[in-house]
Amino acid sequence: MHMALADRLSALLLFMLGLALLVGGYTMDRLEIRQIHPASIPGLVPMILGVLLALCAALLFRSTYKAEDRNAAPVLSGGSWARLGITTAICTVYALGLVGWLPYFWATFVFTACFTLVFSFPIDGARRAQLTSLAGALALGFGVALGSALLFEKLFLVRLP
Amino acid sequence: MSGLGDLITGLGTLLTPMMLFHAAWATLLGIVVGSLPGLTATMGVALMTTLTYSLDSTAAIFVLICMYVGAIYGGSRSAILLNIPGTPASAATSLDGYPLAKQGRAGYAMGLATAGSALGTLAGVFMLVLIAPPLAEAALNFGSFEFFWLAVFGILISGQLTADTTPLKGYIAGLLGLAVAMIGSEGIHAHVRFNLGVQDLNAGIALIPAMVGAFGFAEVLTAMWNKAGELAVKKDKSDRTIPDLADLWRYKFTIARSGLIGTLVGIIPGVGEDIGAWASYAAARKTSKEKEKFGHGSHEGLIAAETGNSAVVPGSLIPAITLAVPGSASSAVLIAALFIHGIRPGPLIMIEQPHFVGLISAMVVIATVFMAFYGLTLTKAFVQVLRVPYSYLMPVVFVLCVIGTYALSQRIFDIWIMVFFGLVGFVLRQMKYPMAPLVLGIILGDLLDKSLRRGLTLSDGELAPFFTRPVSAVFVALIVLSIAMNLPQVRRVALAPFRRLGARLNA
Repeated sequence: MHMALADRLSALLLFMLGLALLVGGYTMDRLEIRQIHPASIPGLVPMILGVLLALCAALLFRSTYKAEDRNAAPVLSGGSWARLGITTAICTVYALGLVGWLPYFWATFVFTACFTLVFSFPIDGARRAQLTSLAGALALGFGVALGSALLFEKLFLVRLP
Repeated sequence: MSGLGDLITGLGTLLTPMMLFHAAWATLLGIVVGSLPGLTATMGVALMTTLTYSLDSTAAIFVLICMYVGAIYGGSRSAILLNIPGTPASAATSLDGYPLAKQGRAGYAMGLATAGSALGTLAGVFMLVLIAPPLAEAALNFGSFEFFWLAVFGILISGQLTADTTPLKGYIAGLLGLAVAMIGSEGIHAHVRFNLGVQDLNAGIALIPAMVGAFGFAEVLTAMWNKAGELAVKKDKSDRTIPDLADLWRYKFTIARSGLIGTLVGIIPGVGEDIGAWASYAAARKTSKEKEKFGHGSHEGLIAAETGNSAVVPGSLIPAITLAVPGSASSAVLIAALFIHGIRPGPLIMIEQPHFVGLISAMVVIATVFMAFYGLTLTKAFVQVLRVPYSYLMPVVFVLCVIGTYALSQRIFDIWIMVFFGLVGFVLRQMKYPMAPLVLGIILGDLLDKSLRRGLTLSDGELAPFFTRPVSAVFVALIVLSIAMNLPQVRRVALAPFRRLGARLNA
């Protein structure tokens, strides 16, 4: 995807967000019942921000039609989609799923060991290398889970999830 | 000169075994964090904030300052050895550092970077103790009208100077930050805005989860997305780490100029270390007698970049302490940390805690001493740090992002906020939206909102005081000029006298 197309799509989203802010600010409670000064209504700044954001989005949209190098630059290229996808999935499952569902120690142990294994396990390597990788991942998982649990629970007195 | 007196008093307070122990580990950790590509100073300070809740306020702030100073310096390690800046602040360092490493002179490049960083930080500290007290005093006269324009100016200038491609994206990032700040209970009538029916949003979005997401999780994603760099391992037998004093003396004007530029860039709200380094590098190149060496291993270029980025650290603390307006993204986290530890940055700081400026300056000085010591002695150890694979490092970082965020108020909801900001932050970065104005928007949103509505209430709805009060008028003029400078015609006219002056000086 080129920057021009990415900017056009994001400009549309931002324009809608700007409109939403404007409408949200306009329809927000003006607290007349509390007899506040009309210039201090809570929706004032959101309305201004909405107008400015919509304006900037429109200008961004217009700028994508200019023949400039930055518009032709590729977006989200040069990296590894597989690594990004796996990282996002593992991290999101840990943060939004495992933490709070499993005790913190086990959630962190599973996450750290899995993350390390997925990115360092030599699938085509020798058996010895595979065992070393597995042992390293399990040791790191155990160490991180235990270390962070002790640090936050015993030292910082945090009630772990 | 009371500022320098306070600095000495501050040094006296901090020179205890326990405080020096904190400085030793925090600076070392900062250098390690900064040297690892993908882990930035802001992320280090944000994560460290979550680890300092239980420390007393002086020790906690000291640890954060050491982390900040160490991380900004640490970025030069990977810039020199990998050609990948450990932090964005070291991007200019890699231009001359990596060619030196390729020539087998990595040790000397690191020595020069260390000396440049130390001198830059000390130059910034000098300015900090001199400028901060009178600035805080002047800011005591600021009212709602002035604070409104200060917030607008900060976000605008940050958006303008940190945007990679077009200032428009910087402005949009700033507006998005302000929009985020509108969520939750507002500061005048306690009316809850945009909570979308979610009770947890009534209190608004806390800065630390947002910052840890935007600078921690987003950086984990960026690091895993990017390819790893190639380590420059060639070594020349004549290579050494201790820089030649004659070399430093030859570039004394470059060091002084870069220190000044870095500090001034630091004072500008939301414009961070990377801009300080680039501005210093550009100025050094323009005035150098060895222009042709720049980009091919120039000692002067390397010193200018490192002095420039390190001088931003104390420079950025000036508005952070005296106006509660961060000079960089890392100092935005520092402001949040100061509030957590019961210190209220702002114009009243010189009344409520008159020795604080001296104390924080002393913290920077001690951090600089440790940074220089580690920089000159642990060269080989840092090379080993750069060999740690991401598959082992990144899960540790992410675990800290999660548990650190949770520990702030022990709410699972904060982890969700962190993940949301991480994912959005990654996409925005890839689309070249700068993060600094976004952060500045979140932190200044409340000030901007309250100042505008308070000002309008005071003036009974009249807009005139926003434009006629002297300080307000200056801010308005600066804002109009900043926006107008985006137009080529205005820029040509405005810069014409400077170009003429430059041509006359060169002639």
